[in-house]
Amino acid sequence: MHPTRKRLVYGVTFTLPALIIFLLFTFYPFVSSLYYSFTQWDIINKPKFIGLDNYRNLLEDRLFIRSALNTVTIALFVVIVQNPLSLLLGLVLNKPFKSSYFLRTAFYLPLVVSLVVVSVTWSNLLQYDGVFNELLLRLGAEKYIQDWLGTTSSALTSIILIQLWYGTGYGAVIYLAGLQSIPQEVYESAQLDGAQGWKKFRFVTFPLLMPSFTICTFLGMVGALKFFEMPYIMTNGGPGDATSTLALVIYNYAFKNNTFGYATAAGILFMIAISVVTALQLKLTRSKEVEY
Amino acid sequence: MRSSSVSSLRDKIFDRMLEAFMVVLSLLVLYPCYYIFEASIKLPKEFYEPLKFPSRIYWGNFENVFAKVQVGRALLNTLLICGGTLALLIIVASMAGYTISRNKHKLFQFLFVLFLAGMIIPFQTSMVPIYKLAQSLHLMNTRTLLILLYTAGTIPFATMIYVGFTKGIPRELEEAASIDGYGPLRMYWLIIFPLLLPATGTLIVTTVFGFWNDFIGPLLYLTDKSKLTLITQIFQFKAERSSDWGGIFALCSLATLPLILLFVITQKYMIKGLTAGAIKG
Repeated sequence: MHPTRKRLVYGVTFTLPALIIFLLFTFYPFVSSLYYSFTQWDIINKPKFIGLDNYRNLLEDRLFIRSALNTVTIALFVVIVQNPLSLLLGLVLNKPFKSSYFLRTAFYLPLVVSLVVVSVTWSNLLQYDGVFNELLLRLGAEKYIQDWLGTTSSALTSIILIQLWYGTGYGAVIYLAGLQSIPQEVYESAQLDGAQGWKKFRFVTFPLLMPSFTICTFLGMVGALKFFEMPYIMTNGGPGDATSTLALVIYNYAFKNNTFGYATAAGILFMIAISVVTALQLKLTRSKEVEY
Repeated sequence: MRSSSVSSLRDKIFDRMLEAFMVVLSLLVLYPCYYIFEASIKLPKEFYEPLKFPSRIYWGNFENVFAKVQVGRALLNTLLICGGTLALLIIVASMAGYTISRNKHKLFQFLFVLFLAGMIIPFQTSMVPIYKLAQSLHLMNTRTLLILLYTAGTIPFATMIYVGFTKGIPRELEEAASIDGYGPLRMYWLIIFPLLLPATGTLIVTTVFGFWNDFIGPLLYLTDKSKLTLITQIFQFKAERSSDWGGIFALCSLATLPLILLFVITQKYMIKGLTAGAIKG
């Protein structure tokens, strides 16, 4: 056999196992979901082709729209509030404190805990006679005591703040790695040019951190859009539909209502939304990245 | 000169105060993590005074849980799924990543792009077809299905890590081995795979938490009681005995402690892995 040909044959052999698994469990399900999304289907009987009906109904489905709005709210909060806080935390963790190692571990730690455990723990902390209300009582702030996850006005806010506690450390670690990859010389020449304090951050550090900013916004947004465990376990989307998210509503359409075609159509819309939003975001932040 | 020493003193004081503030803040952040363990050794009646420190370590919650549910089996299921996934993932992704990195043929570059494109498909889009697929392959309620799903889902990220890492391995080694008459397979196992170990380590510590903690996978595809993982066991237990907070937290602490230990031990690699694709990618 010809050596180049031989190389190719071995290459194909080496990549085949990964390719087969990928095609069977990622590619094929995706392609078939395109088909199922045009059908009415209860998973037991044969799917019945109904054209664009699922999509039409989804766009008029109040629960779906409400869930989309909740999901957008969470994502916006992550991008606008959590992301800058991550950056701030990253900058602080980059300082040569005696306790640096401890601090980095502490702020990252929530992330290794399962979201199921996080949901259960915060349900307990926030229940009416739980730790949080007890604390308010001791601090003399009785008038704020309420059923945090059971009240329409505070349920989504509570979940978003728990996400803040959970996710800020992750972003901070990414910014920290970005900060540590900036060569010292850059700072030295900035110093010579008289850049200090805010100026140094605004014109030197931040532009060089842009790649970290891109990736942090991207990961934060994707994570926020896929919000499932917390609303499912803590509030089951309630009260009413106050904390319903897209990931949760798609799950319910399929495994609670047995409308599998409808759920798949919702899943396709969900994917299109994620792709569009993240593509726009990557385009926007990538254009601001600079070289040194 | 004088003014600069004053300002540096001010900086020092500011830094000290900032550090003190951060330590306090970090303790607040850690509190819910600590609470999991505190609540697991509380007496049932102590839950009515949530801020009171437990009067003694009460192991009854753990005894109760062990008597009521098969904790050992849930742990074994979790370990089998995590171990099986890692073994399969490391083998298939390292072979693919190494090939893609070394073989400049268009076919393999296309394959890499295809893998990366797979990253944008959310699980919610495919979860119903996977359900159907699992039924037709007779993989419903098998740990094998979860192993295959996790592997498929992580192939893009894992391949990316191996592609990047292979670039740093000098080709002379392969050339020398080739002259010594090593075939591709022997070369891969005896020379390349050991050299890729650091990448493998990074891959393990960045992904195993996700496999261990995954909820929706076993929730949908492992509905059989004998196939519960630690995470779905917690969910199940809470659904059946929602007022037994001590028991619920005993299970939670069992599911969380190994991860905290693993994190503290492997932290260095983890942070490296987190940023491997992100910063330099």
